[in-house]
Amino acid sequence: MSHIIFGEKRIELDEGQTVLSALLEQGYDIANSCRAGVCQSCLMKAVEGEIPVEAQTGLKDTLKSQGYFMACSCKPDTPLHIATDANEGLQSSAKVIEHTLFNKDILCIRLKPEENFEYNAGQFISVWKGAKVGRSYSLASVSELDDYLELHIRRIPDGVVSNWLHDEVKVGDTLQIRAASGNCFYTPGMPEQKILLAGTGTGLAPLIGIARDALKQDHTGEIHLVHGTRHVDDLYLHQTLLDMTRQNNKFNYLASVLQGDENQPAVSSVPIEKQLIDVAGDLKDCKIFLCGDPDMVNNLKRKLFMAGASMNNIHTDPFIASNA
Amino acid sequence: MSSLYERIGGQAAVDAAVDIFYRKVLADDRINEFFDGVDMDQQINKQKGFLTMVFGGPNEYTGKDMREGHKHLVERGLNDSHVDAVIENLGATLQELGVAAEDIQAIADIANSVRDDVLNR
Repeated sequence: MSHIIFGEKRIELDEGQTVLSALLEQGYDIANSCRAGVCQSCLMKAVEGEIPVEAQTGLKDTLKSQGYFMACSCKPDTPLHIATDANEGLQSSAKVIEHTLFNKDILCIRLKPEENFEYNAGQFISVWKGAKVGRSYSLASVSELDDYLELHIRRIPDGVVSNWLHDEVKVGDTLQIRAASGNCFYTPGMPEQKILLAGTGTGLAPLIGIARDALKQDHTGEIHLVHGTRHVDDLYLHQTLLDMTRQNNKFNYLASVLQGDENQPAVSSVPIEKQLIDVAGDLKDCKIFLCGDPDMVNNLKRKLFMAGASMNNIHTDPFIASNA
Repeated sequence: MSSLYERIGGQAAVDAAVDIFYRKVLADDRINEFFDGVDMDQQINKQKGFLTMVFGGPNEYTGKDMREGHKHLVERGLNDSHVDAVIENLGATLQELGVAAEDIQAIADIANSVRDDVLNR
């Protein structure tokens, strides 16, 4: 006999009973489908306690390491404390310590959180303008290397938050932010694995974070980063990435542009997927991160899968625009 | 005698087969239009469920699930020829993984047993 704590409530489990069955019995409306540990409809997040191995079989590493498990396959031997809303983070304050433009559209903001702020490089946080309007931005910083959070903000025409951040927010202001989430981040455990990072626009932010995090964690396999933009002038942090390539023999940076002068180091008009496939060797064994424009992300995901990548190794973060 | 599911390697066999099978399905012009615009992560989990079932593994799929899950596709013209194509891709996948011919036949039989439910008739 064990028990779970769901939010505040203690619920006893019968011998061999699953967390899902106990919660349904108590009248909670928990999403579920196959009840066989396959479809992952009943994903929940444990905040404390030991998760049985079977409850995480088949989950991506990034979900596992965050404490996600499948309620239908979870028969805990010891008490398990479960979050009632895994997506709900607490709002916290952070001071703007840097506010500079990378190029005409993209702003770099660095924030100093007022209290300890846990995240994995590559995850995203939300920034709030008032109580009602929040937007998600990916983290380009690495918690073990940087004492600030770095966000890359593209100005969206009529964008409520992006224009506010560009035009009104200044160094010294305090912003409200919410906890990091998302499963595009580096997980240790396979240091020799080749890593492919690709993104468009500010999809570069999480990719830089993941690359720096991997290098910091002594990743020994090759890390290839491809940044795609429409025009060569839309590239940013180009020199920083060239410097990173020079300083780390495991790291390699390539830019894929549709228009503009290609006579620059690392810049070419070769499409992103072609560049990735060229450097991949056997795609099956590569860990792949795709961030940025949703059409690009889904397109690349399909192309790389068809070219041999394993679905389990593809992590994506499509930047879905807000309708508001 | 061990069960079919154990014999072909259980969960590990499902994991090994799913990428190969899904890739074949997406490459097959007879059926890939039914998968356009479908979330690939969700789809791969459904494929795992399907493979677990046809491998004779633990599952709680019901005829009702099969009917509900394919109803919108039947309305778009899903018919016997498409089910045949899926089973063909399944067989090719298993062959690639070195599964014995008689086990492949047993798996195809299980897949065939849900044909009427899938086609909502």
